[in-house]
Amino acid sequence: MSLRIFVEGNDDKNFMVTLLNDLKKYKEIDVLDNINFNNYIEVMGSKSKLLDSNHIKYKKVLEKIGFEIKEALFIFDCDFEKDDKTCNGMKNSLECFENLKNELNWTIPIDLHVFDKNLDYFLVETINKKECYEHFDKLVECLDVEKLKPNKKPIANLYRDLYPYPQFDFKDDRFQPLKDKLIDLFKGTEQ
Amino acid sequence: MNEHFIKNIEIKNFKCFDNFKAERFGRVNLIGGKNNVGKTAFMEAVYVNVHSDNIEHLIISLYAIVYIRNYLEYVTEDIPTVSKALDEVKKYNTKSNIRSVTFKSESKKAKKKYYFFDEERKKGDFSNDSDDYDDIENIKFIDNYGFTNFQLNNVYTSVQLKNKEQELNEYIQEFDSTIKFFKIINDKPQCQVENEEYRSLSEFGDGLKDYISIICSLYACENGYLFIDEIDNGIHYTQLDKLWEIILTISKQQNVQVFATTHSKECIESYARVAKRLEDEEIAFIELCKREEEIKAFVYPYDWFIDEIEQEHEVRGCL
Repeated sequence: MSLRIFVEGNDDKNFMVTLLNDLKKYKEIDVLDNINFNNYIEVMGSKSKLLDSNHIKYKKVLEKIGFEIKEALFIFDCDFEKDDKTCNGMKNSLECFENLKNELNWTIPIDLHVFDKNLDYFLVETINKKECYEHFDKLVECLDVEKLKPNKKPIANLYRDLYPYPQFDFKDDRFQPLKDKLIDLFKGTEQ
Repeated sequence: MNEHFIKNIEIKNFKCFDNFKAERFGRVNLIGGKNNVGKTAFMEAVYVNVHSDNIEHLIISLYAIVYIRNYLEYVTEDIPTVSKALDEVKKYNTKSNIRSVTFKSESKKAKKKYYFFDEERKKGDFSNDSDDYDDIENIKFIDNYGFTNFQLNNVYTSVQLKNKEQELNEYIQEFDSTIKFFKIINDKPQCQVENEEYRSLSEFGDGLKDYISIICSLYACENGYLFIDEIDNGIHYTQLDKLWEIILTISKQQNVQVFATTHSKECIESYARVAKRLEDEEIAFIELCKREEEIKAFVYPYDWFIDEIEQEHEVRGCL
C-alpha cells in the first residue's frame, strides 16, 4: 500500500520532506534508505486549490485511490479569518475540509493536520534561538514589510535562507502531533 | 487525419492481461512500469489490434509477436510455422476505438481449430503456413534487439522515396558529427566518416543503428503506427532530447502514432522536457502497475505528466 500527503505549496513540501528525513534519520519511521519522499507529496498550489474538489490534481490522483493510494493526509494552514471568512480560521478551515472530504468521497482513511495560523508562524515559534527570532521580528517591524508579505513569511524565509531546515528543532514538543500522524501514515507502507 | 489513432483499448485473455482497459492515448505514448508488468505485452496487444483489418493481417501480426519475442532463439532453432506460432499465442481478445479483434486456438479430438474474429479455420485453410504473409507497410515494431539490416533496408526505402536522405544525414550528424553520409550499399547499411571510405554501420555501435532505425521507421509509418521496445537502449542520455525532438517532429509530420517503452528515468524526463519545449500536447505517458495480479494503466495526458515530472514523482510503476 502507499499514501499521499496533500500540501498547499512548495515551501510546505520542502518542510515535509525535511521533517520526514528527520524521522527517517532517527528511525521513527521504517523506510528504505533510498526513499524519495517527494513521491508521496502532492503540491496543490494554494489552500483554495487544496480545498477545491474540482481541482484537476484530484482527478489525476483519483485513479490511484484504492489501487495504489490507501491512505491520505492533508496538511494546510488555518490562516487568519480577517483575510477570508469562508475557509480561514480553525473552525472554517475544518468545515471546508469536511466539505472537501464529502465531495471527494474517497473510500480510504483520510487524516488532517491544520497549522494554527500558518506554517511560518509555527516554524518561527519553534526556533530554539529565541533571541535571533526577536531580532528578525524587530527588523521586519522596522522595515514595515509585514504588509507586503504577511504572516511571518519574511522572517521564516530569511531564516530559511540563512540556515538549513535542521536548525528548526524537530524535538520540540509542538512538532509531535504532526510527527505522530506521519509515523502512523508510514506504518506498513511499501516503498 | 488522426482517425486511425488508437485512443483506447480493452485487452482480455492475452498474456498477463485478463481484463484490462486503458484510454486517453496520445499521438506519442511512452510506457513505464516495473519488470514483468506487461509493457511489451501491452504494445503487442495494440500492435495486433491495429494490424487486424483482415484475417491475413491478424495472422501475420500474431506470428510477428511470437517471432519478435523469440528472435534470438532462431539462431539455433527452426523458425516456427504460422500454426506453431498461433499455438503459442493461444488466445487474444482486444477492443479498441478502431476495431474488435478475437483469436483463439482449440484442440478438439486431436484436431486443431483456429478462430479469427470468431470465424473458424483449420490448419489446411491457411493460405500459407509459412512466414511469408504480407504485413502492413506502415506499421513497424522495433524490438529491444533493434532492427536487422534487412528491416533497416526496408524502412530506408521510404526515406529514399520521400527524398529525405539529406534530413536523415543531418540528424545523423547531430548524433555523431564525424559521420558525413549514411547509405545502403549492396543491401548493407554503411556510414562515411570524412576522408574515409564507407564502413559498415555495425562498426559504429548499436546506438547509432537504433537511432537511424527509428528515424527511417517514422518516415516508413506515415499514417500508421510505430512501436519501439526499450527506446533508450544503446542511446547515451545526452542524445535523448535530440531523439525525442525527432520523434515528436516527424511523427507529427507523418501522422504516425508512436508507442515506446522504457525503464529509464532520464528518458522519461527528457520526453517531458522536449514535449514541453515543443509545446506538443499530443503526448501521453502510460504507467503500468500491478497489484495482486491485477494490472492497471494510469494514462497521463500532457498536463498531468508534466505535473508529475515537475513534482519529481516516480512514474515508473506504483509505489
